[in-house]
Amino acid sequence: MQGSSGIGYGLKYQGRCISDVRADTDHTSFITGTLSLREENEVHLIRLSSSGTELICEGLFSHPNEIWDLASCPFDQRIFSTVFSTGESYGAAIWQIPELYGQLNSPQLERVASLDAHVGKINCVLWCPSGRHDKLISIDDENIFLWTLDCSKKAAQSKQSSGLLHYLSGGAWDPHDINAVATTCESSVQFWDLRTMKKTNTIERAHIRNANYDMKKNHILVTAEDESGIHIWDLRKPKSPVRELPGHTHWTWAVTCNPEYDGLILSAGTDSTVNLWMAPTSAEDEATSESIAESATQQADPLLNSYSDYEDSVYGLAWSNREPWIFASLSYDGRVVVESVKPFLSRK
Amino acid sequence: MVEREKTRTDDVPLDDKAKRMRDLLSSFYNPDHSSAPKPPSDYENLDAINSTSFDPDHYMNVLVQKSNLEGLLRRHVEMAAEIKNLDTDLQMLVYENYNKFISATDAIKWMKSNIVGMQADMEQLLDKIMSVQSRSDGVNTSLFEKREHIEKLHRTRNLLRKVQFIYDLPARLSKCIKSEAYADAVKFYIGAMPIFKAYGDSSFQDCKGASEEAIVTVVKNLQAKLFSDSESIQARAEAAVLLKQLDFPVHSLQAKLLEKLEQSLGDLQLKTVRIENILRESNDPSKQGKPFESIPSTGHEVSVHGFAEAIRAYRVIFPDSESQLIKLAQNLVIKHFEMIKQCVKRRISSANFLGALRTIWTDVLLMDEVLSEASLADFSLEAGQVTVKKYVASTFTYLLQDISDALLKVKVSPKEEAEEHALKLALEASKKAVLQGSMDLLLDFRQLLDDDLGLLVKLREFIVDWVQKGFQDFFRALDDRFLLLSGRKNPSSQDQGLSEGAPGEKVLVGIVLVLAQLSEIAASFSGDGARGYENEHAFASGEIRQIFRSAAEKLLHHYINMRTQRVSTLLRKRFTTPNWVKHKEPREVHMFVDLFVQELRAVQSEVKQILPVGLMRKHHRSDSNGSTNSSRSNALLDDRMTQKGRSQLLETHLAKLFKQKVEIFTKVESTQESVETTIVKLCLKSLQEFVRLKTFNRSGFQQIQLDVQFLRTILREIIEVEDAIDFLLDEVIVAASERCFDPVPLEPPILDKLVQVKLARSKEQSK
Repeated sequence: MQGSSGIGYGLKYQGRCISDVRADTDHTSFITGTLSLREENEVHLIRLSSSGTELICEGLFSHPNEIWDLASCPFDQRIFSTVFSTGESYGAAIWQIPELYGQLNSPQLERVASLDAHVGKINCVLWCPSGRHDKLISIDDENIFLWTLDCSKKAAQSKQSSGLLHYLSGGAWDPHDINAVATTCESSVQFWDLRTMKKTNTIERAHIRNANYDMKKNHILVTAEDESGIHIWDLRKPKSPVRELPGHTHWTWAVTCNPEYDGLILSAGTDSTVNLWMAPTSAEDEATSESIAESATQQADPLLNSYSDYEDSVYGLAWSNREPWIFASLSYDGRVVVESVKPFLSRK
Repeated sequence: MVEREKTRTDDVPLDDKAKRMRDLLSSFYNPDHSSAPKPPSDYENLDAINSTSFDPDHYMNVLVQKSNLEGLLRRHVEMAAEIKNLDTDLQMLVYENYNKFISATDAIKWMKSNIVGMQADMEQLLDKIMSVQSRSDGVNTSLFEKREHIEKLHRTRNLLRKVQFIYDLPARLSKCIKSEAYADAVKFYIGAMPIFKAYGDSSFQDCKGASEEAIVTVVKNLQAKLFSDSESIQARAEAAVLLKQLDFPVHSLQAKLLEKLEQSLGDLQLKTVRIENILRESNDPSKQGKPFESIPSTGHEVSVHGFAEAIRAYRVIFPDSESQLIKLAQNLVIKHFEMIKQCVKRRISSANFLGALRTIWTDVLLMDEVLSEASLADFSLEAGQVTVKKYVASTFTYLLQDISDALLKVKVSPKEEAEEHALKLALEASKKAVLQGSMDLLLDFRQLLDDDLGLLVKLREFIVDWVQKGFQDFFRALDDRFLLLSGRKNPSSQDQGLSEGAPGEKVLVGIVLVLAQLSEIAASFSGDGARGYENEHAFASGEIRQIFRSAAEKLLHHYINMRTQRVSTLLRKRFTTPNWVKHKEPREVHMFVDLFVQELRAVQSEVKQILPVGLMRKHHRSDSNGSTNSSRSNALLDDRMTQKGRSQLLETHLAKLFKQKVEIFTKVESTQESVETTIVKLCLKSLQEFVRLKTFNRSGFQQIQLDVQFLRTILREIIEVEDAIDFLLDEVIVAASERCFDPVPLEPPILDKLVQVKLARSKEQSK
């Protein structure tokens, strides 16, 4: 479809995760890590050149294990978290990029804290999305842990969720309510109150791969499912989705809402494409689901563009917070592509 | 000077004379005349002798001075002549005057003598006139008395005659009754009324009583006449008029008669009910063959005729009762149409519907003849509009019902032995329902249109519109129904279907496929059928077709989705349960492959029943050799696996670069092959993704290798294997090797052996 409009950057090995460095206000930068079982894994700090035509490797750090999840700290650009695996066991840690990495030849990452209360497979680590709260959540197959990070002491304290929760697969932290977290599991999306660590709500829906809150609007959650595409939910009406998007030919792996533009959604799939959707839900907030279904059919095609210039499944997807029309995607073959959606925004 | 004098005397001697005469006369009769002329100039003065200011001396002097002697002499002569002339003139005038005086005096004398006798005559005349007047007065007074007497006598006579009439009235009335001359009777009675009113209580009491009695009889007779149907309408109308004249409360009569009419209407309706019953019965399949025409009972016709007649009579009788009659007639029409509506609810064929309409229309026409003011035609047109509309709508509803019934029937009876063909049957049945049903519908409507029934002729335009709209709505509803049946609109049922895994659900999955194909058929039909139906009218067939196309596509995708989801659950279980890092050495192909294949076979059987064979069907099973293929891919794999180390990934990347990028996900077509391969591809891709999420030890990797190898072999037996499928199978192994600590593949002989064992066993099982 679209030619090679994006700016490419190759990782040495395969990779699954990429994250926007939100705390870096001077540059548009992303951080990504490799996933290689048998080789030495790396963390790449990539910066988009000021001209916006080139991706520059700002830092290259070795990481002890293959990285399954990576998230940048929202208030300190040098701190990030990873979930890693040795192949047999999982671990999660907070890392700090060494201060003088420019001079060092092969700088080592400083481990700020290890989140090692987990037993099973760790799925992801979430940073509190709203500002400077030094709170973290880590999710494994069965538990949610809430961590309070103390950078100076290089330690983290944990608070464990009550009860056994089977087969959690991921989660999202509500940007509008710091006490609310959504987790995805085998047959539903569950909502948690972090103060009580109790479940507050569920959406019964099987095979949800990824969930993401609308950054602008309260109560709106977007989920990606293996076979049945993308669904937009109004959390006040958890019975049925507000809107459906067809998703991808194969599984829809990741979905992320734009931090600035309302209704702009990006999804990545295992059919080696990244799709850009425009699915505003504003007008239908209070309307019945039926009328929405009708109006949805009347609306124009929600698919703005399909970026198909990938060789393999795309698992990593991140909007830039600094320049919200830019996103980075990472396909399994270790190729980072940064694209601008500007040409499609003007159409609006 | 001399010349001028000469010319004067020569030219106008007579004029001068006459002029002088006139002047003289004028001076005689009007002495003041001389003062009027303007003062003449000196010369004129001198010359004008006639003017008063003439100065003879001066004239003389001038004359003497200016003239010579000869001239003076001549002048003297002239003057003397003139004077002489004047003298004679004067003399003549005097004579004439005198003459006139004499004659005037004569006339006066004569007049005087004539007038003297007149006075006496006049007086005589007056006397005579006076005497005439006095005589006429005398005559007048002498005749006055006699005249008055005569007048009195005349009045008395009249009175006597009236009294005689009143006394005779009862007898006369009874005579009239006997001879049935009611009109005369009423006339007489009414004539006598004022007298009865004035003196009825005193002098004519008996008389009044008797005549009233007689009149009561008259009234009674009149009423009887009015109500008897045997009397002629004219007579009845007359009776009514007479009754009205008698101040009889006609309204009550009218009401009574109306009641009677209503009653007859009720009878009529009862009869109609019977007809409708017959009509309904004829709808039974056993009597279907009977045409409607044989049914319309003559009884109904007759009764309607009777009713119409009655109405006509009534109208004549009570000319001012139209509104009531109109109401009545409309009531009849309404009842009729209600009857039809009832029938329409019960689903009737168009022939029957037509028949019913026809009956109504003939009735209406009959009534219209009688009661044109009611504009029953228009009224029934309106009612008919509603009914026909309803009929059209209900017909569509039934068709829709039929189609979904045909579909659901399969769902209800999923018998084991019938399963093979269940879907096929379902498709056939529903296809038939759609095509035949719509065709029949069209024929039915055609029949409606072609009929020359007045009502329908007027409604034709409307019907065409309704049918078109009905078709559009119908197709839309059908589309909705399909989606509903497929469970696509109802996410909960979809989940349910997934979690159940019951045999009933299996049929449901098949149904989705059936629906997909059906949509396709409907798409082609809705276009053609509609076009064949009405060319000139804009029918949004394109739009409808578009809807169905997209519905078909959606449903097909939905089917594929449902199928792959089932496999996904299978794979998910397979990959989440074991600990792949501590996997034991592979001994046999894992069970999930069997399950997968089983699913595929199910898909295949469904697809074979429903979908057409693709055009580009290649020869495959006969000349494809499973073992050679497998060894080839083994070799490829060996190449990849033996070169370990850092360069390995680069290698695969390079390999990918040189290998043409395989388009894995192509557009699905609605053919057997396309659907099958799409499902297989999606499942294999899922398998790859699941593998990528895990970490394997050597044995785990080998297990995957073995499973994939077997899958590769068995897939060739089941379906046509595209390059993309081969590629995906390779990819699965590559993914597994990437996720393995120690990717050492199985030795090819062992691999082959294990595969063969499994193949043999599965063949055994299938036998």
